[in-house]
Parts: sequence; structure tokens; C-alpha cells
Amino acid sequence: MQWYEIVLIVAAALFVVGVIVWQIIRRKQGKGGCDCGCSNCSGSCSACQSKQKEEKK
Amino acid sequence: MKKFALAGNPNCGKTTLFNLLTGSTAYVGNWPGVTVDKREGTYKRGEEPVQIVDLPGIYSLSPYTPEEVVSRNFILDEKPDCVINIVDATNLERNLYLTTQIMEIDVPMIIALNMMDAVEKNGDKIDAKALEKKIGLPVVEISALRGHGVKELMDRALKAAKEGRKGETVLKDSSIAHLVRDVSIALKGQKVENPLFHAVKLSEMDELEAEAHAELIPMIDAFKATFADDTFGADLEAVVADARYKYISANYSSVFTKHKTEGDVLSKSDKADKVLTHKIWGIPIFLVILFAIFHLTFSEDFLFIGAWASLGDGLPTLEELGMDMDNAGVTLLACFYDGAVFSPGVIITNLWCWILDWVGVLLELITGGAAPWVGSFIVDGVWGGLSAVLGFLPQILVLFLFFSILEDTGYMARVAFILDRIFRKFGLSGRAFMPMIMGFGCSLPAMINTRTLADENERTATVRVIPFFSCGAKLPILTAVAGGICGICGLSNPDVITYSMYVLGVVVAILAVILMRSTTMRGEVPPFIMELPAYHAPLFKGLMIHLWDKTKHFVKKAFTIIFVSTIVIWFLSSFSWDWRFLLEEIEYEGEMIMVNMHMNESILGSLGMLIQPLFTPLGFGSQLGTTAGWVFAVAALTGLVAKENVIATFGTLAAAVAGSYIATEEGVLEVAAMIEATGITIPALISFIAFNMLTIPCFAACATARAELPKGKFKWTLLFWVCTSYIVSAMIYVIGSWWWTCFIFAAAIAAAVTGIFFWNKKHPLKPAIVGAAEEAVQTVEEEAAISDDEHKE
Repeated sequence: MQWYEIVLIVAAALFVVGVIVWQIIRRKQGKGGCDCGCSNCSGSCSACQSKQKEEKK
Repeated sequence: MKKFALAGNPNCGKTTLFNLLTGSTAYVGNWPGVTVDKREGTYKRGEEPVQIVDLPGIYSLSPYTPEEVVSRNFILDEKPDCVINIVDATNLERNLYLTTQIMEIDVPMIIALNMMDAVEKNGDKIDAKALEKKIGLPVVEISALRGHGVKELMDRALKAAKEGRKGETVLKDSSIAHLVRDVSIALKGQKVENPLFHAVKLSEMDELEAEAHAELIPMIDAFKATFADDTFGADLEAVVADARYKYISANYSSVFTKHKTEGDVLSKSDKADKVLTHKIWGIPIFLVILFAIFHLTFSEDFLFIGAWASLGDGLPTLEELGMDMDNAGVTLLACFYDGAVFSPGVIITNLWCWILDWVGVLLELITGGAAPWVGSFIVDGVWGGLSAVLGFLPQILVLFLFFSILEDTGYMARVAFILDRIFRKFGLSGRAFMPMIMGFGCSLPAMINTRTLADENERTATVRVIPFFSCGAKLPILTAVAGGICGICGLSNPDVITYSMYVLGVVVAILAVILMRSTTMRGEVPPFIMELPAYHAPLFKGLMIHLWDKTKHFVKKAFTIIFVSTIVIWFLSSFSWDWRFLLEEIEYEGEMIMVNMHMNESILGSLGMLIQPLFTPLGFGSQLGTTAGWVFAVAALTGLVAKENVIATFGTLAAAVAGSYIATEEGVLEVAAMIEATGITIPALISFIAFNMLTIPCFAACATARAELPKGKFKWTLLFWVCTSYIVSAMIYVIGSWWWTCFIFAAAIAAAVTGIFFWNKKHPLKPAIVGAAEEAVQTVEEEAAISDDEHKE
């Protein structure tokens, strides 16, 4: 196996894990509920999150 | 940092001003009710940075709608340093009604007379200085759309914020003035903040105030016992509203001078409305406009020139004209014409795909000397999936541009109005149309916008059917599969198929609403009142901001979620459970290419074949055999993460699927070729589109639906989406394959409708008013009975 093949495998694996972890972090921060772009949104992510929190209370 | 709030009536230009002040690109629409929650930004161009809060549009500070509660709570609880009250200068008196209410709060306030350019254009005049003098608040003339007067507005707002202000009321000379004064004194004694505002609201018997200051209710009841207005009796809320309007009319109307016209001259908007909102022609005109949009975006036979020409000798293809199709210049020419003239949307898409193809060729060259699996992974796997999705970006943008134009001109608000007549019969008001039409862009903001619907059942029904309005992410599925259908049938009108599928989504949504409103969600349809905005030409800058944001979002999604999905799909389709690499190098037309001859042994293949039988009633299950038929089942499942994944899955697998065919096409064409090669029938393909359009939307939309729906309704909503998509798709496949089964389905539907009809007749709905009156009579009777018992004792 050539060196670039190992680099490619590691990069692809890191990218997959990185994106999944990034999505989880965003969700924990309350940003993951909406991914449609703010200019299309008539509410806002923080608004959705505060509503969810209120419901949980 | 100082905090300023933007408050005003719906569609008066608050978000336009917010964007101008903060440099944001928040969604602006030419219809009332676009903003349903507050949003924040920072103004940095003044002497000090200021936090700007855009509040939802409201007509009053009474807590009747969620928007009114949000705005009222923000002004009262968050205590902004200044409230910038945006007043639509073309509707001065009605807008000042809200102003007279905000004035009662102890908060610095400034009036921004917006749309002054429209006032001047109409030939009308407003004396801003005279208004400032009469109302006792700073008044600044602005045009948020053109950016006029904004600097002066912010400077004066900063000055007002430093000075502070005590609340004042216009009810000083009204018939309830002394009640307001007495309640205000009582509240001051209790050290309540903003006593004047709370006193007025308590006098109106505002629900929230009555709860918070129950001890003062006897004072109001005592006043009511001795009070009777000639028109409104003891209805103090109506008395207060009347007093406000009378005051506005008597004191402020003189500042407005209307342009003198002879007789009743119709404005341009009125003339356009006579045609576009016509009782009979309104809906057909809307359908024609919608078809024209789809034709301009998707047609491969623009204005049906090719169809007309085929009546004679037909138009020649470039190959028939003797051109070399391997020549780069000719392939570029083929983006515009090849046996038919393409529509603008298709031309832009072809040009874009031409560039993507060259990127693919470049990647092939780069990976040429590398190990064979590297080329397969990068070119066929990742780039195959990504380019299949990215290839649809131009058509998504063109379609979105047309919808934005319709919305910005004010036409969409008219469509809500003309559809109200039909929607009402089905159990929804025309107001529900606005979130539905937003669903054509993205389901998430559409679901959030349903907050403007007051009735809970109407809201739940609307949230459930929003995913049926095909969003931008589903467009690649429609276009690619429509291309596949055209390929199988030899047609050149994928626009007609795409348009029909959009219409199918709307029809299923209407039928689902009828079903819900006749069974589990019966109830009265609330009245629909919506202010129709004036028509105006859309601003180029605004449209470009929308498109740029859409592009940014699409590309971001493509290079994160879709990218990851293509890597995972390639990996799962290239390895077997025992970690055997399944790709092989074979010679094809003198070239060495990597193909997967044992796809069925792959992890993805075995999983796909496991779930494949589930889709047999829908036409893309076991009947497709084991060659590559399972890709439809896998694609439908990957679509749950993001709908673009359906085509990304096809794109990634298309290049590797071998045995039944060898991929010779690139990008989108490769996907269409793979669809053809699976041997799927046309009814099954239509069923596949219908299933993806109607089934559970993406994860993000599910999370939003969960947040927006009342507690306990989400699980039923998931079941509703699965059942609807399965039943409709199965019906399409079965009727499409065996036409006579339509009689069986018709009989079953007729039996169900009859059953519902008789059940509803046996269990008539109690009208809300009658129900409330019965309850009131019952309460009075009970009270009388208790009183009699006490008397006897």
C-alpha cells in the first residue's frame, strides 16, 4: 500500500467522524435543529430551542 | 450595549430595516406574518454599537396571537433602551393604533415613517413635523427599501434612549379615563412597573392582566355596573379601541394630505387584482403561471418548438448536422440546442454540468497513475455522488428565483386569498397556504411559520401536510427520475412530469387535510383576514441575497452531509461482510475501468436486499430482481438523513453497478442510465417519486415538526407520513400496472367516504359559539341553584 493511500483512508475516516461530531456539537449547542439557512427562516434557531426548553420545563 | 426593538404592524418593513441596520439577510416577504419570532443583530455604523431586535408584526399589544405575546413580553420584560415603532406611511391611521398602545409603556420611543417613497409616488403628503408635534414623539421619515433616512433615525433613537420617557395615553379625555387613572394609581401603590399600560389593559379585561391583578377586578366590575356606552355597552375593550381610533382620526389625520383625484380612480394594484384575484379565473391563472415557471425551469423543448417542428420534418440533432460530438466546442453548443431548443433553466444546468464533467475529467487525470481503488473512490464514489447532487443546483436556484419574484411582487398573498374559498371547504383557511407555499423552498421555516395559525387542529394538519409540498432538496429526485421516465418513453418533456408531481403533492395534501378535518381533527375553520400588500417590483439586490444564501446552504450541505454519505455508501458498497474488496479492473472499449461485479455481496447490497421486499407493493421491491433493484430501497432510506442523499446514492452506485450494464455516461445522465438499466417500470418510477415526496421528511424537518406540534402528536405524525406515502405510492403502482384495479380502489374510497359521512351525521359538531353559550347557560343555572339552596338555608 502506497503512502498516499494511507493518507486518503485516514483523511476520509477523519472527515466522516469530524462531520458527525460537528453535527452532534451543533445539536448540543442548540444549532442543529435547523439547517435550512437563516435567510429562509421566519423564526430562528434560538427561538426554536427556547421553545423546546420551555416545553420540557 | 444599548438594545433597540423594532415594532410595528405586519408587513410594514421591519425586517427590511433590520437587514439594513445589521447587514443580515433575514427572510423578507411581501406578505403579513413572515416573522413569527424575535431575531437579533448588531448595528455598528453609529457612534456606539447597538443591539437590534426585530419583533414579529402585530396589530395590538393584546395577547391574542403568539406574535403579540412575543412582542409584548419583549417590550415589557426585556426593557429595550428604545422602541423604534415602524409605521407604514401609506396606512398611517391604522398603523398609529399600535403606536398609541406602545406609548403607554415607560420606554423611550421613536416613530419611523416607512415607505415614504411610496407615499410620494402616490402624490400624497405627510407632514412629519406636524405629526411629531402632535404626538409628542420623535418622527423620522425613512424608506427601508431604498435606505433613505436610516442614519438620522438611529441618531435620534440614540438621543431618545439617553433621555428616557414616561408612558402617556390618548385615553385621557375618553369615557373610561377616570377608571384608567384609578387603576393606575392602585398599581403604582403596588409598585408595578409600567402602571399606565397595565391599567389600560386591565380596564380592557385583558386575559393576562386579569390573571396577574385579580384583586383589582372588583374595581372594574363596579365601574362597569354604572357604565354603559351607547354603541358598545359595557364592552370596555371595544370602548378603548373606539376611543383610540377616534383620537387618531381627530388629532393625527390632518397631517396626511391625499392626492386629489376625480371620482373613484382605481390604482394599478386594484386593476391587477381585478384580473388576478378573479372569482373564476384566479385559480386557472395561478396554475398557468405555475406551469410557465416549471416550463422555463425544466423543459427540454422550450415553447414546444420541437413538438411543433415534429409535425413537419422535425429539428435535426447536432450529430445529424454532421458535428463531431467529441469536440469540446460542440459539447458546449449542445448545452443550448440538440434536436430541440432548451429552456433557460436547462441551459444553465447543462452549462453547469459541462463544467462539472470537466472537473470529473480532471480528477480522472490526477488519479490516473494512482492505485485503481483510489480512482474509483474519488471519481466514481465521492465525485459521482456529489456531482449528481450539485448538478441540480442551477434548476433549484431558477425555480427558487421565480417563487421569490412571485412572493416579492405580492402575488402569493393574493393566491392565499383566492385559495381561501377552496381551502375553507376542506377545513383550512387561506392563511395556511402561506406556510405551505414556503414548503416549496424548505419544510423547516414553513413549519415554524404555522405559529401564525391560531387554531391548534388547523396548525397540526398544516404541519403534517407541509412535507407534501416538494422542497428544494426533493427537486433532484423529481428531475432525475423524470429524466429516467423520459429516457424510457423517448419523451422530451420532463417539465410536464415534474409539474405533475408537484401538483400530485398539493392534491395529496388537500385530500389528507379533508380526511383529518373530517375525522380526528374536526372543528370550525377560523375566519381569515389578511391585509393584501401593494404590488411592487422585486428588488434585484434582495433576490440575489436570497439566491446567494440558498447556494451557500446547498453547497455547505453538499460538502458535509452529502460528502460523508457518499464516502459511507461507497465503502459499504465496495466491501463485503468478510472485508473482501469487491471492485475489479476490467477492460472496456480499450480502457481499463473499475467495476463492481459482486455488488450483491457487498454490505450495502445485503442490507438492501433485506429491506427490498418491503417495497414490493410499491413497485421497486423484489420484482426488480437482485441485479441492482435494491438501490431504490437503499436510496429511499438514505433520503431520511437528507433528501439530496437519494440522488447522491444513485450517483455513487451508478458508476460501480455492473453486470447488467456498463456506465458510459457522466453525472446526471449516468443516474438516468442506471435507472433505465434496473428494468424498473414507469408506474414503479412514479411510485418511487411519490414515496420520497410524501414519506417522513429529513431529520431536521422531523426535529422541527416535533418542536412545533402539540405534545403527543409527533408519533402520530410520523405514522401519518409513513402510511400516506405507502398507500399513495402503492395505489399509483397498482393502478398504473393494472388499470382495472382503479375500480376496486374507487369502491374502497367510496365506502370509506360514506362511512365517514354517516358517522359525522350521527355525531354532529358542536359549533364553538353554541357550545360556549350552552356552557354559560349551564353555569348560570348552577349558580342560580346554589343561590336558591343558600336562600333556603
